[in-house]
Amino acid sequence: MKLRLNKTVAVVASSALLLLAVPAVGMASASGAVHKPKPKPKPTYVIGYEGPLSGGNLQLGLNMVFSVELAINQANASGKYPFKLKLARYDDQGDPTISPTQAQSAVANHQLMALVGPAFSGATAAAEPYYSAAHIATVSPSATRVSLATSGWNNFFRVVADDGVQGPADADYLVKTKSFKSVYVVNDGSAYGSGVASAFATEATTDGATVTTATVPGTAQCSDGSASATEYTAAATQAVASKAGAMFYGGYYCDLGLFLGALSSAGWTGTVLSDDGSDSPALIQGTTPPSAANDVLMSCACAQSTNKTFNKEFQNLSNFSAATATYAPEAYDATNVIIAAMAKLKTVTRAGIVAELHKITYKGITKVIHFQSDGNISGSAIYVNEVESGSVVQLGLE
Amino acid sequence: MDPRLLLLGTIWLRLRGDSLGAFGHYLAAHFDTLRLEFWALFVGGVANGLLYGMIAVGYTLVYGVLRLINFAHSEIFMSGGFAGYFVMRALVGAGAPPAGIASVGLITLGIVAGGTVGAVMATVLERVAYRPLRRRNAPKLAYLISAIGASYFLFNLAGKEFGHLAVSTPQPYINHPVFHIFGAPVQMYFVIIFIVGLVMFVALDRVISKTRLGRGIRAVAQDAETASLMGVNIDRTIAITFIVGGTLGGAAGFLFGLGYGVVYTMGFVPALKAFTAAVLGGIGNLRGAMIGGLILGIFESLSVVFVQAAYIDVVAFGILVTVLLVRPTGILGERLGRAA
Repeated sequence: MKLRLNKTVAVVASSALLLLAVPAVGMASASGAVHKPKPKPKPTYVIGYEGPLSGGNLQLGLNMVFSVELAINQANASGKYPFKLKLARYDDQGDPTISPTQAQSAVANHQLMALVGPAFSGATAAAEPYYSAAHIATVSPSATRVSLATSGWNNFFRVVADDGVQGPADADYLVKTKSFKSVYVVNDGSAYGSGVASAFATEATTDGATVTTATVPGTAQCSDGSASATEYTAAATQAVASKAGAMFYGGYYCDLGLFLGALSSAGWTGTVLSDDGSDSPALIQGTTPPSAANDVLMSCACAQSTNKTFNKEFQNLSNFSAATATYAPEAYDATNVIIAAMAKLKTVTRAGIVAELHKITYKGITKVIHFQSDGNISGSAIYVNEVESGSVVQLGLE
Repeated sequence: MDPRLLLLGTIWLRLRGDSLGAFGHYLAAHFDTLRLEFWALFVGGVANGLLYGMIAVGYTLVYGVLRLINFAHSEIFMSGGFAGYFVMRALVGAGAPPAGIASVGLITLGIVAGGTVGAVMATVLERVAYRPLRRRNAPKLAYLISAIGASYFLFNLAGKEFGHLAVSTPQPYINHPVFHIFGAPVQMYFVIIFIVGLVMFVALDRVISKTRLGRGIRAVAQDAETASLMGVNIDRTIAITFIVGGTLGGAAGFLFGLGYGVVYTMGFVPALKAFTAAVLGGIGNLRGAMIGGLILGIFESLSVVFVQAAYIDVVAFGILVTVLLVRPTGILGERLGRAA
């Protein structure tokens, strides 16, 4: 009985509330028609960055994340977009085992609309299933493994040429342009390093050079590998014994620095060419003695930025020079192409950005950005840089 | 011929998918390479082995007196590397590497700096991470966790304080071939390791076997309780054991940093190798640590003739497993007291 009474009271009370509410709603809509509409607050969207923000490959991550931050700051300051942007950092240390956790956390962030990165190929392969399922567009400034574009991820884009372009171009450069007849091809055992090195080896063999291949695994002190730097002495002895005139190294600057020290100790005198993973001034800093890095060549699908405004503002934000920051201009372009795609949408959704990126043509500071249907950039150029008395100098196109 | 050998040979041939002739050719070609490169690889291997041995001493001494694996020893090694790096940066800087007597002085200074900081770190570790546990009679597992925790704390602290990028130690000498052994050049870097490593091993071996201090350490290793009844100050002996291990580990850190640069994660794998060397030689046994280090270093180095550098670790741990199968206590057996 008591219960029933309570129920009755509840019904009466709620209908009374309803009666009160109806006029209120009516009044609100009426007043809206009379007064000027208040400016709607701009929605805030998040653009993520995933890459190494700690560990041995930190420098590459810093180069990129400062560019992403710069592009976002500029977009917010310009006031011409109907939204505010925020940056979220996801630190995967370049490690494929950490990457999925970071991707899941990015996916769970409902404000996050698109992502610059992941920076490394292995990390990208591990994270992409999560981004793909959530329809989050990922625009990588630096993941160059060929298979990333052919794995059926509709949301995958990259603003650099893949290893399929870089490796063969490097091989043609050493064998055809520089006329080396015998090349020692080393890879660091990483997904990225072995990818470039095997593409190099195939093309160099086609070009008529004698190719000897070796795997010299990355070290634990450079974050990704399991080897010890002490093992490089023996590996360097092997390389010298091969009597090859040139070496191609597929891998990253940290391990290459250790290997160059061992090579110089073992009496190596040949030319060394490496890939874009080594293209950083941190290579010189990490080589013992630093003079062992002299004359080392590094190829990169990335050009050094000649855009003065970008260089100045990047320096202001990061406190280091954009001229030597590998992939900083690409990360800047990747962010801006995402922002441009967002600006074209009436309602910004994750899937909407993916669809827009497939159509967009955007003039960035490195190149005109237009994606092929598999997410690869249309058209490309590989540059070659050299270490000259302690700094990295761009020699020109291969 | 032993039928088991024949069986193994057959399996090997099947795996390679080669005819006997091709197999013979394979072996001949590799032994030919081995003949050509043997001395170069051997020299590098001995240098690595001495480094492993110097680190292994820290594991083995502490195990001897406490029956505990000091997994934070890798960070003592790292701290020695950084100490040497900062001293070299202050004294050598970016200028041209000095030569002659200045080099000798600077390297001695670097070893002293590395050794001192290593010893200080080891003392701090003993006081903070182990002594409180010992006072409370904690189970062995608690020491292990305490050690791993200390290790993580220390290397992350170093990363935060000194940066996460690898940097090369300014060179206090010019690394050129000093002499040749059967045509293989021996670099100055290796000569430095040979001299420092041998001097330290011989000195330590004498100290442990001949001095009152060494007798104390051996006594505690054999039976701590009885040793204390005989008037050995256990706390002091344990502290000194940590200092000795820390000195060698720190000095090894400096030598490693001299050749390969320093970074906060530098300790992990070399220390793992050294631990392997200590177990290989017989953990708790001083001479075992030295011999284990040398065997590991030399075999690792020579193995690149037969397998790629990628398989060096497979060889290293293969040796460990094989030796332990035959001699579970390692090559020289376990006890510090007995062997030294």
